[in-house]
Amino acid sequence: MRFFKTLLILVFLIPLQSAYSFTVGDIPIQDEGRIKPLDTYARNYLLAFYGKRSIPELDLSATDWLLDLILDPAKGKNQKIFNIRNPEVVSSIFLDWSTDHKYSFNQVLPGLKKQTSLLKLIDDKPANTRTVFEKQLLELSLNIMRFEEISYLKSLKLIPSEISENHEEWISPFEFILNGIKPNEYQSKILNALQQYLASRMENDFIIMKSSLVDYEVALKSIPKNLFDIDNLKKERWLNQTNLFYISLAFYILSFMILGFNWMTRITFTRRISYALLLIGFFAHSYGIILRMIIMNRPPVSTLYESVLFVSFIVLLFAIILEYFRKDGLGIFIGAIGGSVFHFIGFGYAADGDTLNMLVAVLNSNFWLATHVTTITMGYGASLVAGFIGHLFLVESLRKSNDKAYLKSIFNSMFGVTLVALFFTLFGTILGGIWADQSWGRFWGWDPKENGALLIVLWQLMIIHMRLSGLAKPVDFALGMALNNIIVALAWFGVNLLQVGLHSYGFDDGVAKNLFIFIGFELIFSLGMYYLSKNNLKNELST
Amino acid sequence: MLKFLYNFISSPKIFVYTVLWLMILVFFGTLAQKDIGLYASQMKYFSSYIFLFYDYIPLPGGRVTLLLMTLNLSSSLFRKTLWKIKKIGVIILHIGGLLLLLGGGVTAIFSSEGNMVIEEGGKVDYTDDYHRMELCFVNLSLQDSLEYTVFDEELLVEGNTISYDKLGLEIDIISRIKNTRIQNRITEVDSVYKGFLKQFVLLPKEPEKENTQNRPSLIFRIRGSKNNADGIYGLFLGQKDLDIFNFKNEKFFSEFRKERTYLPFSIELLDFKKVLYPGTQVAKSFSSEINLIENEIPRRVLIQMNEPLRHMGYTFFQASFIEELKSESTVLAVVKNYGRLFPYISSIIMSIGLLVHLIINLPKMIKKNNSIKA
Repeated sequence: MRFFKTLLILVFLIPLQSAYSFTVGDIPIQDEGRIKPLDTYARNYLLAFYGKRSIPELDLSATDWLLDLILDPAKGKNQKIFNIRNPEVVSSIFLDWSTDHKYSFNQVLPGLKKQTSLLKLIDDKPANTRTVFEKQLLELSLNIMRFEEISYLKSLKLIPSEISENHEEWISPFEFILNGIKPNEYQSKILNALQQYLASRMENDFIIMKSSLVDYEVALKSIPKNLFDIDNLKKERWLNQTNLFYISLAFYILSFMILGFNWMTRITFTRRISYALLLIGFFAHSYGIILRMIIMNRPPVSTLYESVLFVSFIVLLFAIILEYFRKDGLGIFIGAIGGSVFHFIGFGYAADGDTLNMLVAVLNSNFWLATHVTTITMGYGASLVAGFIGHLFLVESLRKSNDKAYLKSIFNSMFGVTLVALFFTLFGTILGGIWADQSWGRFWGWDPKENGALLIVLWQLMIIHMRLSGLAKPVDFALGMALNNIIVALAWFGVNLLQVGLHSYGFDDGVAKNLFIFIGFELIFSLGMYYLSKNNLKNELST
Repeated sequence: MLKFLYNFISSPKIFVYTVLWLMILVFFGTLAQKDIGLYASQMKYFSSYIFLFYDYIPLPGGRVTLLLMTLNLSSSLFRKTLWKIKKIGVIILHIGGLLLLLGGGVTAIFSSEGNMVIEEGGKVDYTDDYHRMELCFVNLSLQDSLEYTVFDEELLVEGNTISYDKLGLEIDIISRIKNTRIQNRITEVDSVYKGFLKQFVLLPKEPEKENTQNRPSLIFRIRGSKNNADGIYGLFLGQKDLDIFNFKNEKFFSEFRKERTYLPFSIELLDFKKVLYPGTQVAKSFSSEINLIENEIPRRVLIQMNEPLRHMGYTFFQASFIEELKSESTVLAVVKNYGRLFPYISSIIMSIGLLVHLIINLPKMIKKNNSIKA
């Protein structure tokens, strides 16, 4: 136990990144409605063009790539930066298919120019009728345009405008020149520092580069209005670079491997190591979520990506509590598997670009995000844990059908977690109704997302009442909770596929396919196991 | 017999079956929204007592199911086996659940909703129904007032004849179109067509899934005026230039509009504001600055997303807006709901109940070695 306490203290000793010195990646830039560090900006655009957040082949970080492009556009335009994976798109812009799928700006541009009329046609079509090829070609042409705008500093909104209020648009250095805007005091300070930094970077003069960054930070602090927090920019850049969620994933996988070793060897000490690794992973995971909350100044869940992060956080939390009480590896098993799977799902969503997006007006309410969204997401997490124990119960009732005390203890844990899950799904759903009553004037509107949440609640109510009234035996209850996973998945991801209602956000075909695979797997696995263990029971009785 | 009936209706099995049926309704009702739209699906599956499956097989709808569930829940509360100190949490929880169901009933039966469209600088003292329509005749020739005669939704059925007694007119409803396409006439027409219909035809087109996106229209014939006001007229929702006709030396015009409910006060829109995130088309917030005018005394109020105005049992929400070249209009959703406090109270009661139950029982449940049955 002492070991864990030391660990806990160590984790909270991680400085909150304000002590770090100001780097070029911390420079604030306004993009997609928010002020973000240049590092995030560069990563997102590199991801959009190149498919990765850095260029490992050239050992170039995103920020370095961006600055190199600005300093030497001619060279940058010959860099093979555009990742085109569709051969149809490649041939439509008169290029030869190459195995590394990479093309430079100068290669792509002439072909696109010849296809202007086609692009116009695609652009006029409604977005949902475009084919994959059309979407990708249009995306490529947009990327080429963005690339060019970056190369001459046009889209780099680096300088706060004069009448700076929070919803005012910032100005790029290019616009100062083009429109002949006369910079005010702090604007010229920022522009000078930027110019000095770029000039010294061109000559590789590290001392002046450093001093001009100091000037840059001073200039930013001289802005009279409080538009952004430099410490938050530093935190975000730190979060980008450390990849906390990769670290937590690594620990979860490691923990699972040690647990496997423990099962094989039955050395008690290894279970503790495995538990410790899970805890370390969990701390990295939690710390990442906390940092995101501080950076955006909002509760943990506001997008689908964040719901994945948070559900896995809840799953881990339950797993750790279970393990603390049971000490038999069950909690570690659930935590390590659940944590790893959700991390992979999360990386899938993060691949779309910036994960710290601004929210549309109706969602922009911290109070309701904190209450309704957090509660319902906790409900998803707890339901999944109960479902997971359900699977385990089905397997164990087949494997160890004689060990009644063991099975009963698993069942009791499952029942307890189910009650907790019901608590969160039920109140999350009611709180959602109350939010709807506050902002739209109706408590319940039979909207798909509401119905999805209701289905989870009803299913759990039914299973619990079936058990309490004796209609269901423990193994039936386990089957019920295992199948509950399907309903959670449908409510969580499935309703978006319907594309109706107020909660419909983020649709793509990949989600639909994965969802159907998941449902198919769950049905076959749960029903199969259920059938086998029932059969087993029958045989036992007859012999 | 009575005891048997009581045991039957309060049995947990009834609950299990009603929940199962409700789940089936919710599942198919949600899927149906993709095809027939949210409102139609809600009417068919959830707000109905009985609905017809494939047009022939009658099945219990959402209301019957929830009614049965309410009966089951309230009668099960009288079971003797329930009233034990150990089950205090369970009892509280179920009372909360019952309140939630009752609140749902009150809302379903007594609440009303509509919306209010106000142009900047304009003043409105009525709400428009979302779905019901009305036909209105306005007498323009009175000295210092306008006289309105209104015919309700129920009368506006194809083939129906309405008598406008005051003027001694008969109105035949020729056709009621759900969603309308307006087309220019190519050829000269019979003089039986009046006003707007002289140059245009109203034709039906495929209705949208959401009823609110449709443009309904009405074609009717006026008889008995004994002058040239007799003829066929056409009106559509949102028509700007309304036809004026003469009758007994008085001027009238008619309007086909959403059913209005007048309020005991009026609302004037001072300013509508939409704030976007800089450099994007994503809205950060919407708000309407209004004057709430009651007995000619104005009071300034700001209505914005998640911050509605509540007044005299009515609640006004920022729902949408209309942007035109010259001006902006705000769209406020207006709701009167007597059941709105139920969910608040019941959720508090239920969470207390469940918490009490969990605190009593949970530690026993998750520990590995014990034999207490959950």
